[in-house]
Amino acid sequence: MKTQIRSRKDRECYPFILPAFIYLLVVVGYPIVYNFVLSFKNTNVKNLASGSSVFIGFQNYKELFTDPTFLLILRNTFIFTIACLAFQFTIGFLFALFFYKKFTFAGPIRGMILVSYMIPMSVTGLLGQNIFLNTGLINDLLSRIGITGPEWLTQTSTALIGVIIMNCWVGIPFNMLLLISGLSNVPQEVYESSSIDGATKVQQFFQITLPLMKDAIFAVLMLGFIYTFRAFDLMYIMTAGGPLNSTDVLATYSYTLSFTQYQFSKGSAVAVVLFLCLLIVGLFYLRLIVKGEEDT
Amino acid sequence: MKRKVLSIVMAGIMILGLGACGSSSSTTSTSSAAASTAQSTSSASAASSASAADTSAAESTASSSTSIPAVDPNTNGAEEITLWHYFDSSADAKAIVEKCNEYNKLQSKVHITPTYVSRTELMNQYTIGAVSGELPDIGMVDSPDMESYISLGVFEDVTDELGSWDELSNFYAGPLSSCKDASGKLYGLPQNSNCLCLAVNMDLLNKAGITDVPKSMDDFKKAVEATTDSANSVFGYAMCAISTEEGTFQLLPWIVATHDGTKSSLSDLTNANCDPGLDMLGSFVKNGNMSSECVNWTQADAYNQFCAGKAALAEVGTWHMATMSKDVNGTFNYKICLLPTGDSGTSSSTIGGENFGICTGCKDKAACVEFLKWFMSADQEAKWAVLAGKLPVRSDAKPEYTYEQDAFATFQDEMNYALARGPHAQWPTISEQLYTAAQKVLLQGTSASDALAAAWTVISPILQESPLPQQ
Repeated sequence: MKTQIRSRKDRECYPFILPAFIYLLVVVGYPIVYNFVLSFKNTNVKNLASGSSVFIGFQNYKELFTDPTFLLILRNTFIFTIACLAFQFTIGFLFALFFYKKFTFAGPIRGMILVSYMIPMSVTGLLGQNIFLNTGLINDLLSRIGITGPEWLTQTSTALIGVIIMNCWVGIPFNMLLLISGLSNVPQEVYESSSIDGATKVQQFFQITLPLMKDAIFAVLMLGFIYTFRAFDLMYIMTAGGPLNSTDVLATYSYTLSFTQYQFSKGSAVAVVLFLCLLIVGLFYLRLIVKGEEDT
Repeated sequence: MKRKVLSIVMAGIMILGLGACGSSSSTTSTSSAAASTAQSTSSASAASSASAADTSAAESTASSSTSIPAVDPNTNGAEEITLWHYFDSSADAKAIVEKCNEYNKLQSKVHITPTYVSRTELMNQYTIGAVSGELPDIGMVDSPDMESYISLGVFEDVTDELGSWDELSNFYAGPLSSCKDASGKLYGLPQNSNCLCLAVNMDLLNKAGITDVPKSMDDFKKAVEATTDSANSVFGYAMCAISTEEGTFQLLPWIVATHDGTKSSLSDLTNANCDPGLDMLGSFVKNGNMSSECVNWTQADAYNQFCAGKAALAEVGTWHMATMSKDVNGTFNYKICLLPTGDSGTSSSTIGGENFGICTGCKDKAACVEFLKWFMSADQEAKWAVLAGKLPVRSDAKPEYTYEQDAFATFQDEMNYALARGPHAQWPTISEQLYTAAQKVLLQGTSASDALAAAWTVISPILQESPLPQQ
């Protein structure tokens, strides 16, 4: 009887979610499916207009995974994502712990730190371009303490570091903000009782703060991964993916193949690789949420 | 419960974040001509310093205008023809609006509405428009890109309308060929031409004990080395080697040059004559004669280095002549000479320029053709060249430059040695290989022969399938 009522209620709900479902199907589902289909064809500048492209199976993927440029770009994408995530999270967490304390000007300073997050990425890219010039701000500061700075954006070994630093500058406040909200969910009574039991600050951090913030930390890392892995505008503005593809990532490479080289199918195949990487992380994140709800 | 709340908050933030990014990436930078009219150029002083002997004639330059005129919004019932362009310097952005307004007053059948779209965005819009069909009536395109867009179906065949035009024979063959497909069908008309020359800071050259502009690659190398002044952050040479078509445009003359009496060509990059120019540029970066930042510089950046006195010699384009006198502002004397890319007395350069094509689905093809015929008439071509600081694409157009006459004469001479890029449907891939090879030489110290050999493995099959036209 109970099951019957629930099933009837479910049916009554379907018409209400139908508009949203149709919207997602058209706006999100169709482009994804079209992109998948395109990645298995040989659509390029020569056959787009005539519509004479044909299915070539996994040929585009085979070519990509044997292309040293693509492998370099895949490597760049993971290095960029993991490095950004590590620095943004660590520094963001330290800032969160610091600004969670109640002291004079904590609020205004926290607000000022958020400014970098509010600046459009294209502006951040232009700022980064100037800061990391051979005679830019960073090298000027380094020269004042007797260090000759590297040619940041013109050397393949340092260009990605410059881009990572600029992305961290934007990402740290975002991490800080989310982790502060996580910290506010940790009950103060637990800290008080642990103090009475003689726990040190370090013990409190590892035994109370971290375990109780586990969900918030996972969420921040997952969101950070998704947000960073598909980065485009920063490197597009700051370095245009150069020099010699050293700052190219999957998103910029897909754009270059499709809109500069007119190799539409190959560009789609790169986008599919990007999508699959994010899908795996997204599914992992959803599983965590569902598991958390079941536990509750 | 707390976990639930947290999950909801996080999911919400994710949606907001993704939404925000989605909207930013899909925003086009298209701006209407009306908006572009709000742009104003800085008030330019009319004359350059009297001390600049070579520039003293530049009393009235193309850049002496103060603002871009407004597009007449009143169509007076005439059919509206949309025209997209990416002219963004003060001189040509002003000229295109003036010309459209002039044509709109001349006749009442159609009203041409020019709209500025940034170059990158315009190219994206053409690519998307090839599928969606959302295109302007008339579109501007960089000449080497035209064949790709013809292949994509962006432009309409106008051979029947223009092929029999008796003035077509007055157009230079190179620019006109970039408006045709492999079978010779015509899709538009070239509008302006330009090429590259060498700008020389004569004060720095004289200070280094050299009295005349370089005439061979050896002279050039000596001049660059002699004028480099690291203590004052002055490089001997500045050019653009960025990983875009702009980079290829400036690098190409150093690859296709004449050495030991033999001119190299893009049809065989394994030819040893392709190497000396690139190897020399690599040595410039290695020895501090040229900034490694050239791999991130646009042509405007390299030009600015020269005008600021931070580079003694620089590769500059015809269009820079419209503003050079104002930008140098009498701080030093300069001369324009042929690019000394090879043996003494030889030179090589690259042809640039813009074409206007009639887009697929255009609402009135005949009217668009009539406008193009007027816009590219000998009289209008001559006027445009002076207004915008460009070279005409017709042999019967005789521009009477009121500024930089010597420089324009040099550019006109350089056109005899300038190479057209393509036309070839896969030029973007060829171009990518060329700038990548050059960046390997400049940044990694790879020899030009190795870098070009690697590029040739990609370019060769493309050219075997569809060779570049003979030049």
